[in-house]
Amino acid sequence: MLETLKRVFLLDLLDGLWVTFKTQRTSNISTEQYPKDRPKVGERYRGAPRLNINPDNGETLCIGCDLCAKACPENLIVVGTERNKETRRLDLTYFTYDLSRCMFCGLCEDACPVDALELTQDFEMASYTREGLIWDRQMLEEGPRPTRYTR
Amino acid sequence: MSQDAKPAPVMATEAWEDGLSDLLHSTFNTADTTAILKRETFRGQAFATTAADAFHPVIAWLRDTQNFDYLVDLTAVDHPSDPLCFELVAILYSFASNRRIRIKTFFDAESKPASLTNLYEAANWLEREVFDMFGIQFEGHPNLKRILMPDDWQGHPLLKERSIVDMDQDWVQKHLGIESGQ
Amino acid sequence: MTNHLETSEMLLNMGPQHPSTHGVLRLVLKLDGERVKAVECVIGYLHRGVEKIGENRTYMQFAPYVDRMDYISAVSNGLGYCLAVEQLIGAEAPPRAQIVRVLFAELNRIASHLLWLGTSALDLGAMTALFYTMREREEVLKIFENYCGARLTTHAFRIGGLQYELHDTFEAETRAFSEMFKKRLDEYEKLLTKNPIWVERLKGVGILTAEECKSYAVSGPMLRAAGVNWDLRKAQPYSGYEQFDFEIPVLHGADSYDRYRIRIEEMRQSLRIIDQALERIPSGAIMAKVPKVLKPAPGEVYVSIEAPKGELGYYIVSDGSLHPYRLRVRPPSFVNLASLEKMAVGALVADVVAIIGTIDIVLGEVDR
Ligand code: SF4
Ligand code: SF4
Repeated sequence: MLETLKRVFLLDLLDGLWVTFKTQRTSNISTEQYPKDRPKVGERYRGAPRLNINPDNGETLCIGCDLCAKACPENLIVVGTERNKETRRLDLTYFTYDLSRCMFCGLCEDACPVDALELTQDFEMASYTREGLIWDRQMLEEGPRPTRYTR
Repeated sequence: MSQDAKPAPVMATEAWEDGLSDLLHSTFNTADTTAILKRETFRGQAFATTAADAFHPVIAWLRDTQNFDYLVDLTAVDHPSDPLCFELVAILYSFASNRRIRIKTFFDAESKPASLTNLYEAANWLEREVFDMFGIQFEGHPNLKRILMPDDWQGHPLLKERSIVDMDQDWVQKHLGIESGQ
Repeated sequence: MTNHLETSEMLLNMGPQHPSTHGVLRLVLKLDGERVKAVECVIGYLHRGVEKIGENRTYMQFAPYVDRMDYISAVSNGLGYCLAVEQLIGAEAPPRAQIVRVLFAELNRIASHLLWLGTSALDLGAMTALFYTMREREEVLKIFENYCGARLTTHAFRIGGLQYELHDTFEAETRAFSEMFKKRLDEYEKLLTKNPIWVERLKGVGILTAEECKSYAVSGPMLRAAGVNWDLRKAQPYSGYEQFDFEIPVLHGADSYDRYRIRIEEMRQSLRIIDQALERIPSGAIMAKVPKVLKPAPGEVYVSIEAPKGELGYYIVSDGSLHPYRLRVRPPSFVNLASLEKMAVGALVADVVAIIGTIDIVLGEVDR
């Protein structure tokens, strides 16, 4: 009996509508206003790669061990090195990173023994061309410079 | 392939000994026929290898008398260097005894194993997938055609002879208008 | 005068770009008026050859790919894969890692069910639920992001344990989420459970009895809605699920409505597990001793877990080399979807939408 009455007067429906009504306050808005307000991503966010340089002397931290390239499932990192005759160390000649195939899994970052390669919190990596997604050493060290559009 | 030189690796299995294993042996292996070739366990998981033509009867028997009423998975493995190049693996589960076993069989490229569709409805799509990926024909399947790959695709992708970069390029060029799917 | 309207069968193509097929699923419906006489599912549009990729990657390298099968519940996929490889090499994650894994797997179950709830409700015309479920799902994803740095394709676990230590705010975040979510779940129920339209659309639609479920090898909430009390977390506990006190919701209607209720109840039970797990995260190592270069001895294992969508299994064959010799994924969505060809026969076209919704498929996993 009660059930039928509830149905006739659409009480269950109104119950639901009340839930909707309760969230009408503007303080409940959870939409983000990107790009006006840039979202704050997590500290461990795996975004655009960066090749760290030693802040004291500006030299790269990378020792050219090729471990990151070996760890990457997509084989998208190419490390070029040259044996330095004097110091007998490996010098980095070039370093390319093909973002278009990267899945930001972080395996390369984990593999790097000297924390030279790092996935940063930067997430704006779009490019108009596929070639633009292949980053070279300079790009990796300086970071991307996305055009900031303003009104 | 470079692996050809080495002897085929064998897994270090242990004997599968319990009531079900004995029952399988006593039911299917008589003085002059051996339908159950091996009964093994690896890492605590039991599996039996049957003769090719015993695959279907053994599973039917397990379903009807031992309550293995759930076909968890059916899949295949390709061993190109072996004369019996295909391995068919059925994973069965019994709700009544809460245990999972695997039944395997080996057969050559010409054989057509009997379809399990008359035992389990689930075998329908699973066998279609095995056919699609390996080209194994199932005898008695109601609708054996490709399921994941396009109908006019050439070759069966999971065969070892197909390298990951050597798939049906013609299809890709014709339908997608790009040089290669890689 | 006898005037018969001419009727004839009609073939209707639903999908692959249909909003209510949850991805690129194409259905060829044979219709008699509004009634479905036969269905054929055409799948494979999202096929990427995950199993072939697995044969060409090392064990560690393959881990990120499993996230991309069922991308709604990447954590569960990763958990299943790690457990399978660990069993193959005979390793076990340390206790701390196991509990953390359980925590994230349950958070992921909630996230997966939330997305399911929102989208299926949207399919049936209940727009509002989507916004609320997405709002709550965001909180879960934020926890994921803070923990491992990614929201969807998390790659949170590694073979042998965890890569990342819990972040400092993890406990507070998760507790806050759990508190908030308990109330929100009641709100969803108010929106839907007794809503006459919702009930009419789902009750008695897409019935698949327990017997048929078993024959079709259906698993997960669909099986439990048909009255089979079976959940791998209880039946064959893994990763320390046996320590937790939770229930497996079981209903007997075997229809879409009961599947909905099962999932709601499962979210409640997941919260219970999360609350308990938060109390008892042990300290200690998070990574077992696993060789840097994984070369398992020849062998084969099949390991399965209860993913949000059902039994997710990995069958891995090793030949002693760096790469798996064969890597088979038993996808719950694929197997569950096969039963659509049975359930939809005799239903109305509009019911097909409801049925697809309550099977809860993810095409990334169906097609792999
Ligand atoms: S994040 Fe993963 S896919 Fe990308 S470069 Fe590193 S290892 Fe390769
Ligand atoms: S692993 Fe690190 S140090 Fe080695 S090559 Fe890569 S970036 Fe350089």
